Amino acid sequence: MMGRRRFLVASAAGAAGVATLAIARAAGAQEAGSQVNTGAANAPMESDRYKPVQLAAKGSPVMNQAKRDELEHHLHCQCGCNLDVYTCRTTDFSCEVSPAMHRDVMALVAGGYSAPEIIAAFTNVYGDRVLMAPPTSGFDIAAWITPFVALLAGIALVLVVLRRLRGPALAPAIAPSVADATPTEQARLDALVRSDDR
Amino acid sequence: MILIGELSLWVALLMATWGTTVGFAGGYYKRSELIASAERASYATFGFLLLAALGLWTALLHSDFSFRYVASYTSANLPSIYKVTAFWAGQSGSLLLWAFILSGYSAIAVWTNRSRNRELMPYVTATLSAITLFFVMTLCFGSNPYERLDWIPPDGTGLNPQLQNPGMAIHPPNLYLGYIGTAIPFAFAIAALITRRLDAGWLAAVRRWTLVSWFFNTTGIILGMWWAYVELGWGGYWAWDPVENASFLPWLVNTAFLHSIMVQEKRGMLRKWNVTLVVSAFLLAILGTFITRSGVISSVHSFAQSNVGTWFLSFLVLAIAVTVYLVATRLNDLEAKAELESLVSREASFLFNNLLLVGIAFAVLWGTLFPILSEAVTNNKITVGPPFFNKVNVPLGLALLALTGIGPLIAWRRASAENLKRQFTGPVLVGITTGAALFAFGMRDFGALVAYTLCGFVSGTIVQEFWKGVGARRRMYGENAVMALVRLVARNRRRYGGYIVHVGIVVLFAAFAGLAFKEEFDVTLKGGENYEAVDPYGNQWRFVSQGVSRYDELNRQTTAVLLDAFRNGKRVGVIKTEKRQYVDSRGVPTFQPATEVGIMEGIREDVYVVLAGVIGEDTAEMRITFNPLVWWVWYGGMIMAIGGLIVMWPQAERRRAQAGYSTVLQPAEQKA
Repeated sequence: MMGRRRFLVASAAGAAGVATLAIARAAGAQEAGSQVNTGAANAPMESDRYKPVQLAAKGSPVMNQAKRDELEHHLHCQCGCNLDVYTCRTTDFSCEVSPAMHRDVMALVAGGYSAPEIIAAFTNVYGDRVLMAPPTSGFDIAAWITPFVALLAGIALVLVVLRRLRGPALAPAIAPSVADATPTEQARLDALVRSDDR
Repeated sequence: MILIGELSLWVALLMATWGTTVGFAGGYYKRSELIASAERASYATFGFLLLAALGLWTALLHSDFSFRYVASYTSANLPSIYKVTAFWAGQSGSLLLWAFILSGYSAIAVWTNRSRNRELMPYVTATLSAITLFFVMTLCFGSNPYERLDWIPPDGTGLNPQLQNPGMAIHPPNLYLGYIGTAIPFAFAIAALITRRLDAGWLAAVRRWTLVSWFFNTTGIILGMWWAYVELGWGGYWAWDPVENASFLPWLVNTAFLHSIMVQEKRGMLRKWNVTLVVSAFLLAILGTFITRSGVISSVHSFAQSNVGTWFLSFLVLAIAVTVYLVATRLNDLEAKAELESLVSREASFLFNNLLLVGIAFAVLWGTLFPILSEAVTNNKITVGPPFFNKVNVPLGLALLALTGIGPLIAWRRASAENLKRQFTGPVLVGITTGAALFAFGMRDFGALVAYTLCGFVSGTIVQEFWKGVGARRRMYGENAVMALVRLVARNRRRYGGYIVHVGIVVLFAAFAGLAFKEEFDVTLKGGENYEAVDPYGNQWRFVSQGVSRYDELNRQTTAVLLDAFRNGKRVGVIKTEKRQYVDSRGVPTFQPATEVGIMEGIREDVYVVLAGVIGEDTAEMRITFNPLVWWVWYGGMIMAIGGLIVMWPQAERRRAQAGYSTVLQPAEQKA
């Protein structure tokens, strides 16, 4: 029968193998397409990555400029940079994609659409890659949940470790401490409490 | 010199192979002549890699465009300082820097341990040689900086404009010194695991090396933040870019180790955990390098993409496999030697501190790698950007900040109720007063209020610790306050240096919380026109454009806009913001236009102006940002670095013993 330790090691090895394969696949794909010694800033912006996001106007604007700018911080520019639409269009001299996406956002704001509606419209056209954070549905919700599940598991583990480490010396922690005892007295007391516990 | 450098790289390959082989053989067969040979091979590897590095520098400074690397990253008109820094601008040069620094570290480690840790040193030397061998192999067979072109181009491509910045001259070497510093503790951990000498002895050897790694990692990260802030024009200093995250991961794990090592030293606990942290820091550094090199994840650092990803992945898998095997087969040797006496104790608080640091590391790693996982499962590309990392990490970071204040207030082994009351009253009052005062002054952002309350609490803790220490010295030795403070720190560098690092952390968190009040404005101005805006403090600003000017400088054509800045009607200065088109020696544009941000710095806020574009002759499109408390980031980083230096500074054995530094905790100190 497989012991707990062996099972853990085998599970870790299996998980590591799957992760390695996924990463290796991605790395292989990347390497196939990579060019040695070409600076990122040298690469032409891919303006064909822009896709129009247009809807018929439905009313008067419900967002001010500050809210519109905030919304653009949640939309990923599709030019190939790692920036949101607002930051890219206000930083990058040469990007043609973020200004075009900005124009679509402005048109939708003028057409009376709210922030969630505009984000939904962009997602319909570009898919989830237009968002600056993973969606909170489907498989991608794992992105949000896992760190906290891991933390809770860590807390549980720490508590188990603490219980194991405490051993028979738990009692002094619960017993009222004698704050004014000298170190010698305290040590003697500790020894007595331990012997009582046994 | 260039030819010598090229040949030296291959000789270094042989030396590292020899060092690895005879190091392990010498350790296994306990043959002193083999061990001595491995150690000499480590010195020789360093010497040959030094020659290899000098050769590449010579080629760069002489603009020898027959080498692909020189032609790819420099041009004839590149200022000399950037020809020097172009050494680490590209893939193979930066790998050579890695190997060179690693061999230097290895030589120092071997030299400083020539009469210490002798049982461990054969395996330490062999492990370090093996890591160096991997890098030199990658250089020789995967990405050789001495690769020649079929023809000699008239000029080189030039250096990426974003790298033509003083920050880039010092940020990468700093970061590398931090990254590579994790290799020495890793080698000691592997040696301790192989020899099963897992007592506290090997920890003493690695603590200072971990501090060295932590120090350079800290300064490297802060310098990288500064570079991103002044050079990239995003308006911030941290964008959770995968490569930024990669540099952050070893820092988090090293920080956790520097806390948990105290628990093992004083109480004999957390032995498995400490080994895990030491090896994780190194593996994360390699993972970070893999992310940087492979281009597996889209990043601002994508200029470093190339074909060495598979090399790194293979090395990473091998290193993980060896480590897991060694740890799994030595678990019994890593059992704790002491019992925890109370949940309310310094050691228990360090466990939670470690949990949070590692939890943040996991969240950052998870978010960084999740796009790959998501694409593998759903076949959809997604982005994991700042909104994700901020939401996940802000609560964890605040909890960590709280523990920074709580930990020093709790006694080792066991804290009594009376002790807790006495210790916590002052800091808690300072924290609550800070939060209440800011609320009374109109601050309503919940996250920022929590952050500043905790900053107040942690500051209270630190001040109280210094106050008590100084008071004790004044009573015992009759010193004045300044002398007592200086001697308190000098005699207890580890403890009070650590508190100074905590001061830096508080300053950093205060700066991070300031971002909640950032204000941005899109501005379009013709020459002579003005724009008015209100900053987060309620000041009325007016910016008057002096127009757009165009001129040539050094190796670039510059488009600049000058703004006169007025605060509350009073002129406070001029802000110049630029776009630069870099050209080679023939005047041919080399890269796309680069941003040169205009920044008016201040202790309360920065005014940050980015020239986004020019319409016609005289109309400039700009983004003006009020960035509160950014100045505090740089100074918080400096304080952390100073604290780190104080902790690292060697202490005479006599004083160390006096300060209770290297001795087992005595009962009298337990209630401190």
